[in-house]
Amino acid sequence: MTASVATATPTPARRRRASGLAVGLLLLIALVPVLAFLSVTLGSRDIALSEVLDAFRHFTSSSSVEDTVTVRLRVPRTVLGLLAGAALGLAGTLLQGLTRNAIADPGIMGVNAGAAFAVVGSITLLGISSLGFHVVAAFAGALAATVLVYAVGSLGRDGATPVKMALAGAAITAGLTAVTTGLLLTDLDAQQQYRFWQVGSLAGRYAPIVIGVAPFLLVGVVLALLCGRWLNALALGDDAARGLGVSLTRTRILSFLVVGLLCGAATAACGPIVFVGLVVPHVARFLCGPDYRWVLPYSMVLGALLLLGADILGRVLGGTGELQVGVVLGIIGAPFFVLLVRYARLADL
Amino acid sequence: MRPHLAAAAGAAAALVLALSACSSDIADDDGAKPASGASSVPDGPWSFTDGSGEVVKTDKTPTRIIAHAPAAAALISYGIRPVGIYGDESVETDPNLDGVDLTDIEILGEEWGSIDVAKASTLSPDLIVADWWPAEKAHSGLENGTKAKSKKLAELAPVVGPSQGGSILNLAEGYEDLAESLGADVDDSQGAKDKEAFEKARDGFIAEMKDKDLTALAVSPADDLLYAANPEYAPELLDFTEWGLQVVTPDSPDPDFPYWENLSWENADKYQPDVLLIDSRTFVDATKTAKSQPTWTSIRAAKEGQVIEWPAFWLHTYADYADALTKLTADLADVDDTIGD
Amino acid sequence: MSVLPQTVLPQTVADLRRTRRSRRVRAGVVPVVLLVVAAVLALLTLCFGSVQLSLDQVLASLLHLRDHAAVDFIVRDLTGPQVKAAVCVGLALGAAGTIFQQLLRNPLASPDFVGISAGASVAAVAGIAVPTLAGVSLPVLAFGGGLLTAIAMYVLAWRDGITGYRFVLIGIGTAAFCTGVTGYLLTRTSLTEARAALHWLTGSIGQAGDAENNALLITLVVLAPLVPLLQRMLRAVELGDDTARGLGVRIEATRLALIATGVLLTSLATAVAGPIAFVALVAGPVADRLLGSARGGIVAAGAVGAIVCLVADYVAMNLLPVEVPTGVVTGAVGAPYLLWLIATTNRRGMGG
Repeated sequence: MTASVATATPTPARRRRASGLAVGLLLLIALVPVLAFLSVTLGSRDIALSEVLDAFRHFTSSSSVEDTVTVRLRVPRTVLGLLAGAALGLAGTLLQGLTRNAIADPGIMGVNAGAAFAVVGSITLLGISSLGFHVVAAFAGALAATVLVYAVGSLGRDGATPVKMALAGAAITAGLTAVTTGLLLTDLDAQQQYRFWQVGSLAGRYAPIVIGVAPFLLVGVVLALLCGRWLNALALGDDAARGLGVSLTRTRILSFLVVGLLCGAATAACGPIVFVGLVVPHVARFLCGPDYRWVLPYSMVLGALLLLGADILGRVLGGTGELQVGVVLGIIGAPFFVLLVRYARLADL
Repeated sequence: MRPHLAAAAGAAAALVLALSACSSDIADDDGAKPASGASSVPDGPWSFTDGSGEVVKTDKTPTRIIAHAPAAAALISYGIRPVGIYGDESVETDPNLDGVDLTDIEILGEEWGSIDVAKASTLSPDLIVADWWPAEKAHSGLENGTKAKSKKLAELAPVVGPSQGGSILNLAEGYEDLAESLGADVDDSQGAKDKEAFEKARDGFIAEMKDKDLTALAVSPADDLLYAANPEYAPELLDFTEWGLQVVTPDSPDPDFPYWENLSWENADKYQPDVLLIDSRTFVDATKTAKSQPTWTSIRAAKEGQVIEWPAFWLHTYADYADALTKLTADLADVDDTIGD
Repeated sequence: MSVLPQTVLPQTVADLRRTRRSRRVRAGVVPVVLLVVAAVLALLTLCFGSVQLSLDQVLASLLHLRDHAAVDFIVRDLTGPQVKAAVCVGLALGAAGTIFQQLLRNPLASPDFVGISAGASVAAVAGIAVPTLAGVSLPVLAFGGGLLTAIAMYVLAWRDGITGYRFVLIGIGTAAFCTGVTGYLLTRTSLTEARAALHWLTGSIGQAGDAENNALLITLVVLAPLVPLLQRMLRAVELGDDTARGLGVRIEATRLALIATGVLLTSLATAVAGPIAFVALVAGPVADRLLGSARGGIVAAGAVGAIVCLVADYVAMNLLPVEVPTGVVTGAVGAPYLLWLIATTNRRGMGG
C-alpha cells in the first residue's frame, strides 16, 4: 500500500477518480433493490409475480400459503441477508486493515468459536433448543470471545499487535472448540442441531429475530463506515500512524468493538458464515483501490449483495429443499481462496 | 535446580516402589465360569448364521456373552444374561434398556465409538452379540469411525447378530433364534409373553387400520428445513405400511443422504397426509420448532393437530414393539382420515 | 535468551564459566530426568488402567518373560499400543512445537494454531464425508492434508524469504479457512458420520491403528540421532539473519529444513491422534522453565509433551465419569494455561 493515499491532497485527477468511484458505488447500491426484489419473488416454491404483488397489497393472517411464504418467510429473510452481508463485509475489511492480514476472516477473532460454545452449552447444559434463545446466547458468546481475544492480545508492552491478536484468537478458538466438541459428543440431539447451525443459514429466521438483531447491525454498520481514516493511517504502519496523530490503542479498541458487534450480531442471527468477510474486502480493493474511505462503503454493499445473492442461488438450486447459504458460499469461496493464494502478492497489506 | 532434580528423582523412585507393590485384577490362573444363565446349555459344537451371511461356529456353546445394549435387552427377555454390555449412550437414557435389570452386568461403554476392551477381556467372553448393519458392513459399535482400540473387541470372541433391514421383526426373530441356540427355553420366558403381547398389538393395529384410509408422513422439523423420512430406511415404517397405514414415500430424497427428502419451509405443504409422525425421543422440542414456522400449518394435518409420536429407529424387541404399537394404535384411533389428500 | 555482554570484567569470568558449566549440566540432566519420568508414567498407566495389573505382570508381559493370555492381550494389544502412541505423539508434538516457537520467535506459534492441524482435519473429515475418498485411511489423508497446507502456507508467505510474522498470520488465516471448510463438510455427513468426524476432530489417542503408530515411531527413531544437528540449526536461526549469514549458515535452507521437520512430526502425530490441542503449545515453554538458561532443548520439550499426553490420556480414559477424547482434557486444561502464558510472556514483547 502506498503512502500517497492517506496524505491525499485534492488534484484534478484525484477528483475525477473520486467521482468515478462514487458513480460505481451508486451503481452497486442500485443493484440492492433489484436483488431484494428477486429475493422476494424467487424461492424454492414457485409463486407467480402477480400473487407476490397481491400478497403485499392485502395480507391477512388467514391468507393463502403463497401470501404467508412471501410476506412472513421471504421478506425477513431478505432484510436479514442484506444486513448481515453488509455487516460481514465491513467486519472483514476492518479486520484485514487492523491486523494487516490479507486472509483475516471474522472467524479468527474467536467469534464463531464463542458463539458455537454458547449455543452448544445452552443446548447440552441448559437443555434449551429454541432458535430465539440460541440467537441471544450466540451474540453473548461471540461478544465475550471477541473481548477476551482483545484483552489477551493487548496484554504486554506493545499492546494489541496484529500477530498477538491473531494468535490469541486462534488459541481461544482452539480451547473453546475442544470444550464444545467434548460437550457435543455426549449429546446426540445437540449434535444434530449444532451440525446445521454451524453451517450458517438465512432460512427460518423470522421477523422477531430479524427485528432483534437489526439495531445492533445498523449501529455497527454506521460506526464501521466512520473508521476509514483510521484504517488508512494504520495501513502506513504503526509509527507513521502515530506520526499522523492517530492513537493506536484507541483506534484498535474501538474498531475491534465494532467488529465484535457486527460479527456477533450476524453470527447470532445466521450461524457462522464463512468467506463473506474474507472475500468481500479483496473484491472491494480490486474495484476501488486501497483508500479505506472507499473500500468500506464498497465492502458494505458488496457484502450485502454477495450474501443475499448466494442465498437466492441456494433457494433456486436446491429443488424443493434449499441449500444453506453457508454451503453456497463454500462452493463459491473455495475457488476464490485458491486464486487468492496464487495471486497473494496483489493483496499485500 | 539440584533440589528440583533430586525431588524428581525421589518421586520417581517412590513411584516405582509403589508400582511394584500394587495388586492386580487378574489372578495368575483364570478360570471363567459359564454365566449366561441359560436353563440348559446344549453341548457343542454351536453354530449361528450371522446377519452378514457368514456361519459362525464354535466347539462349545457360548456362555459368557458381551452384547450391544439393544441386543442385550432382547437376550435378557429370553433369560440369557450377558456378562457385559456396551451402548451408544448412557444406560440411564437408552430407551432399549428402559426397565431392564442390569444387576451384575458389567457396563463396558456408554458412548458410541468407545468400548473398554481391556475390561471386556477380563470377562473372558466367548461371544459378542450386536446388530449387523448391511450398509456399513459392520456390527453395532464396530463401524467405521469408531476407535481402533474399540474394534479390538472383535478379537476377543466371534461377533454375531441378526441383520438390520426391512422389518423390525428381522431383529426380534433373529434374537429369538439366537437365544434359543444358546440354550434359552424360549417358549417359557418373558420373551414368549412379549411376543404374544406384540402379536395382539399388531392385530389391534391391523384391525384399527382396516376401516380407515389413513396416510402418514414421518417428519423431522428443523429451523431451516423440514425433513421428510424415507420409509425404505426406517424398518418400523415399512412394517406399519404392511399392516395398513399408508406411509408416504417422498419422491425426491436427498441423493447424498437418501434417508430424508429435504423440504424448504416454503414447500412444507408438498405432501398432505392425514397424520404427521415425529420422532418420539425429541417430540416436545421438535413440535415446538415446527410450531414456530409460519408454514407448518400449511400442512392440513398440522393445522388439525393430527401430529403423533413416531417410535423411530430404535425398536429391537417384541416387548418394546408391543408397547409402541399399542400407543400408536391408540393415537391413530382419534385421527380423522379425511384431512389428507 | 540472555545475551552475553561485549566486554567482560575479569572477576565475572569465573562466574561466566560457572554459569556455562551449569547450563551444560542442565542441558544434559533435565531431558534425561524428564524422559525417566515419562517412562515411569507409562508404566503407571499400564498398571492402573481400567483393569489393574501388578508391575510384575506388566514387566513380564512387556519383556516376554512369561505368557498369560489375558494379561498379554491387555498389555501388548490394548494399553501397550495406546501408551506407545501417547508417548510418540507427545514427543513429536513437543519437539515440533518448540521448533516452531523458536523458529517463528513466538511462544504462541505452535503448529496446532498455525494451520497445520486444521489442514490435516479438513482432509480427514473429507475422508469421512466424501464418498470417493471412503477407501483411503483417515490418518493417511490427515498426513497429506497437513503437508499440503504447510506447503501452501510456505508458498503464500514466501516473499524473498520467510519471516515468522507473515508465516504466523498466513497460518492463522489458513486455519480459520480450513475450519470453515470442515464445518461445511460436517453438514454433508449423516449423523453417525458426523459423530465419527467430531471424535476425530477433538483428537483422541488410541483411535489410529498400528500402521500409523509405527510410521510415527520409525520417524522419531530416524530423527533421534539428528537432534544435535537440529538444535544447532535452531541456534543459528535464532541468532538472527545477519549474524547467521555472517557465520556462513544458509539461512533459508536451514529454516526450510526446520519447518519441514516440524510439519512432518505434526502431520504424523495428527495422523495418529487427531488434532490434539495445546500439547505442542505448552511443551516448549514448560521445558524452558525447567531448563533455565539452557532453554530451547528439543528433547526436553518432547519429553514434556509425552508426559502431558500420558497424563491427559489417563485422565480422559480413567478418571472422568465418562470417557472423553484426549483433546477435551488438553483443551480444557490448555486454555487457562494459555491465558496465563500470554499474560506473563507478553511483557517481554513478542514478535509482531
